[in-house]
Amino acid sequence: MKILLIEDDSETAAHIVYALEGAGHEVTVCSDGQEGLTAARAGGFAALIVDRMLPGLDGLSLVRQLRAEENRIPALFLTTMSGLDDRVEGLQAGGDDYLVKPFAFPELLARVHAIARRAVPQDSEPVRLRAADLEIDLIRRTVNRGGKPIELQAQEFRLLEYLMRNMGRVVTRAMLLENVWDLHFDPRTNIVETHMSRLRGKVDRGHGSELIHTVRGAGYTLRAE
Amino acid sequence: MRNRFLRTEGFRLSALYAGVFALSFVILAGFVLVATNQALRDQILAYSATDIAAIRDGYAHEGVHEAREVINQLMAAPASSGFYLLQQDGRPVAGNLPAMTPQTGTADIAFTTGNHTHRVLGTGALLAPGLYVFSGGDTRRLRTVQRHILNVMLVLFAAALLLAVVSGALVSRSFLRRTDAMAKACRDIMQGNFSMRIPVRGADDELDRLAEAINDMLARIAALMENLAQVSNDIAHDLRTPVTHLRHRLERALADSKSLDDHRGALEAAIAKADEILGLFSALLRIAQIEGGARRAAFASIDLAALLAQMRELFEPVADEAGHVLELTAPGPAVIRGDRQLLAQLFSNLIENAIVHTPRGTHIRLSLSQGDGRVVARVSDDGPGVPRDEHEKLFRRLYRREASRTQPGHGLGLSLAAAIAELHGAGISVAADGKPGLAVEISFPMPADSPQAA
Repeated sequence: MKILLIEDDSETAAHIVYALEGAGHEVTVCSDGQEGLTAARAGGFAALIVDRMLPGLDGLSLVRQLRAEENRIPALFLTTMSGLDDRVEGLQAGGDDYLVKPFAFPELLARVHAIARRAVPQDSEPVRLRAADLEIDLIRRTVNRGGKPIELQAQEFRLLEYLMRNMGRVVTRAMLLENVWDLHFDPRTNIVETHMSRLRGKVDRGHGSELIHTVRGAGYTLRAE
Repeated sequence: MRNRFLRTEGFRLSALYAGVFALSFVILAGFVLVATNQALRDQILAYSATDIAAIRDGYAHEGVHEAREVINQLMAAPASSGFYLLQQDGRPVAGNLPAMTPQTGTADIAFTTGNHTHRVLGTGALLAPGLYVFSGGDTRRLRTVQRHILNVMLVLFAAALLLAVVSGALVSRSFLRRTDAMAKACRDIMQGNFSMRIPVRGADDELDRLAEAINDMLARIAALMENLAQVSNDIAHDLRTPVTHLRHRLERALADSKSLDDHRGALEAAIAKADEILGLFSALLRIAQIEGGARRAAFASIDLAALLAQMRELFEPVADEAGHVLELTAPGPAVIRGDRQLLAQLFSNLIENAIVHTPRGTHIRLSLSQGDGRVVARVSDDGPGVPRDEHEKLFRRLYRREASRTQPGHGLGLSLAAAIAELHGAGISVAADGKPGLAVEISFPMPADSPQAA
């Protein structure tokens, strides 16, 4: 997909371009906020990656301006690690996600994919999600695989729901911590791994094919082969 | 030096005092002079009125002859200082004054005899048409008395002024000596002698109180500086270690890696090490930011019981896998004002510490209690615990117990917890009764509008 990157630091920009192009995307880079706004208005991009601090026009104002013009292009904010309140500010300005520098490439890719997906309009909020013979009911909060019901705890259900909603895409540990548990820091213990291992024990064990896969160095993905 | 002395506060105060004193003295002296002048004039006029009455009486009974007799008698009286005149048709007939224009009532006249000029104050009256009488007294006495009074006052004034200047000088000298000592101490401290303190005389006066306040401030600054120096040292040391390890790894990979897989493994390990270093940095920045206090604006009402229940749910699988039991005792909702993200991080750090640093089979208990306007959250375990003399150090930045140096971690978990607690106005401490094991207590203030606070 075509991605617009607005970042004034040339080294960071070069790294991001390298990562995105490596994953098969096409990247346009602007190093100035005003220039970036013009490019974003021109359209044709599937997602926008914008640094908070920019010459010309800062990232927050840029996205706020786009939203004021009813431009719904998915936007991911990049910021230095100092700002605890940056995330809230970024989301309030109309950003879709937020990533703290320095970040790992898989994290960036996973988040860009996730926000670009969200932009695809859906007819209505689905009631059921399906992957191969696994089905979850979002209203009754029930799960069954191959017709047999599976008992899940509340947080296991939220974890599975998030994986199902991002079916076929990689989700990182940080994305899971943020979206399933609303935690925005990196714990020292392997919380995500143990929860995931329990979930897999209930969802995949004893079934012919595995649906939840570990993506080395990146995170997890739920995939129906 | 002379100039500096004159510019002291003590001298200024004494000078001001002397000035006010001088002004009041001048007013007092003026008042005394006017009052004595008036009293002496009144006395002279009273005498002359009596004399006139006697002369008039003589004239009324036996005519001009008797009036002359009365005047002569008055002049002959011992210690007489009066001046008299009886004048008929402009011609003096009795008395010791030359002829003059008749004036009735109070009169102030001047006349010269030989080389003496007299000023006479008295009363004039007409006894009969063409017959004029005057009786008065010399006002020289009046001026003499006034001069005496003025002299005495000037002497007193000079003495008082001298006293004021001398005492002012003494006061400012002792003031100057003490402020000089303070200034010298401050300069010594500036030059790096941080153990120096401002001398306190023990009189508990304003200078002593000032000195004590400055000393308290110095002690606080010294503690902060020591802490800062310690932290910078620790940061430098703690960063050097992982960077050195990273370097060794890369060096070894360069020398030993034979296959592509070897290279890949070495690079992955290097990235993990770099992430560890970045994690240390972000934890330090986060502490600094929380200590800055800017985040208090995002405070909302938080039920600690619900938050701890989520924490237990979150960590239960991890604890279980490490062979620990994680329990929660919360009698009911306990609402405080706070930042959910930071509080979650605080409890995560405490729970993770307990999981990482205790052996299998350890029970970890989260509990809440309320009372005395506080909500106390407690994370305790029945593991091996920490010796009492290390309790204080646990919250120090980058402090890692010797026993835990080999385990993962950067020694910032508890200081981050302490920074978060402080932001919430909460005290964090190691409970003394945590035996066996370690118990960390965080005592939050109940919000003022809380129904539980009543």
